[in-house]
Amino acid sequence: MHRYCQAVAAATFLLIIAGGLVTSTGSGLAVPDWPLSYGQFFPPMIGGIRFEHTHRVIAGTVGILTLILSIWLFRREQRGWVKRLGLAALAAVVVQAVLGGITVLYFLPDIVSVTHACLAQTFFGLTVAIALVTSKGWREDLPYEFDRDPSSLRQILIATDVFLYLQLILGAVVRHTEGLGIAFHIVVALLVLLHVLITLQTASRITGEKKILRPALSLGLLVTIQFFLGLGAFIVKIVLKNTGAVPYPATVFFATAHQATGALVLATALLLTMRVFRRLASRNCGAPVAVPSES
Amino acid sequence: MKTMLALGVAFALIFTAGLPAADAATLAGKVAFEGTAPVAEKMAMDADPTCQMLHPDGAVADDVIVNSNGTLKNVFVYVKEGVTGTFPAPTDAVQFDQHGCQYTPKVFGIQVNQPLEIINSDNTLHNVHALPQNSKEFNLGMPIQGMKLKKTFTSPEVMVKIKCEVHPWMSAYAGVLEHPFYGVTNEEGAFEIKNLPPGNYVVETWHEKYGAQTQNVTIAGADEAKELAFSYKG
Ligand SMILES: [Cu+2]
Repeated sequence: MHRYCQAVAAATFLLIIAGGLVTSTGSGLAVPDWPLSYGQFFPPMIGGIRFEHTHRVIAGTVGILTLILSIWLFRREQRGWVKRLGLAALAAVVVQAVLGGITVLYFLPDIVSVTHACLAQTFFGLTVAIALVTSKGWREDLPYEFDRDPSSLRQILIATDVFLYLQLILGAVVRHTEGLGIAFHIVVALLVLLHVLITLQTASRITGEKKILRPALSLGLLVTIQFFLGLGAFIVKIVLKNTGAVPYPATVFFATAHQATGALVLATALLLTMRVFRRLASRNCGAPVAVPSES
Repeated sequence: MKTMLALGVAFALIFTAGLPAADAATLAGKVAFEGTAPVAEKMAMDADPTCQMLHPDGAVADDVIVNSNGTLKNVFVYVKEGVTGTFPAPTDAVQFDQHGCQYTPKVFGIQVNQPLEIINSDNTLHNVHALPQNSKEFNLGMPIQGMKLKKTFTSPEVMVKIKCEVHPWMSAYAGVLEHPFYGVTNEEGAFEIKNLPPGNYVVETWHEKYGAQTQNVTIAGADEAKELAFSYKG
């Protein structure tokens, strides 16, 4: 079950890259109809259709995987809230598909494209969360006593998550409006960087637990990479726009990599937050949480 | 007096119908190009093997075409201000072809509500996407060779961009007007606007890369033939 959930999350990450390539190559309207492509399941793979149709095929696959996931969780999972997570993922994937269709049929209205982009990463977060809570480690976690008062870590994590999600929305706006709100996006980037550094420092100060320190370190590393990818995207897409100085593949690379790494940052932050809160919950209860058996 | 009135009405009708009138003028001219012509960029058509095969020697960008006589092709020339009366849309369609993975014509004029016949002459799939601000946008797949579609633009607009979403290098521009007083420069950089009634006009030229220019023109009447000269700097 856990393995399957991991596979769904991995497929979703692939889907985010495919979707990013559609935007980066400007192929969003290469297929004018929806849900079929030129009235077919498999149109000729030429020009922009290659990106748009690949995105549709992967999206269809993820949709089916999610349907199976939610049914599986509904029948086998004992925790009601995990079942609901599965249903939420299914609902998200359906809404996401409809948004994808609307954006094609109405010629990419910015608001729909931005929502489609944000929901994509939210859905990715959901699949990662489901994979995490179905893991053995999550079920068997013993209450963990922090070396020091963990409330500061909890606060900084919440702030980091809020800034990261805001950053996702801002990033999607910048991407789909060719630079609107870029200053705001840069300011929040600095805030995110600062908060992630504080998170890393706080985490290492109050605990030696690997399951917290590792994602915290990954988060720091990913955010650093993300910062430079963002800088690269900013330079090639906005500073050097229309100068002809940038080879086309470079603009595609920076914009898509920045977006995909953003998804990883968000997912890592979510994973870290959930692990920390899981441990805090255990401590408050004072006893290990009952562990339902793996199906 | 009555016959005078009837004659006047008849003349007015003829004018408003945009039919050739006895004292209408022809506006002709050339659009020169000064400086050195930019080297046309090579267009990579490898995104679609069919397109690539149609251009065995390689295709070049068609946004700037400087003619051998030092003039500029594909400049849209039209009467921007001064036209009075109404001009019903012709029922003849403007032919717009997708051929060799390029648009023919690249720049054209069309009247409001005049049918635009879009043709796919290629043995590949095209996707014609018009991006008007004032009329309804459309994005239509034309997957079959020989396929034809008819569309119209319902409001004037200079220019409406048309592009193919499958082949990013394909683009064309339509000047949508409420009257028939427009032309496009040809292989000699020449244009011609016929049957323009007497009056004071503002004539504008538009080019995809080099932008717009205007000139004032007065047509005094009686079979006048006015010559206009425009010039763009490279
Ligand atoms: Cu095409």
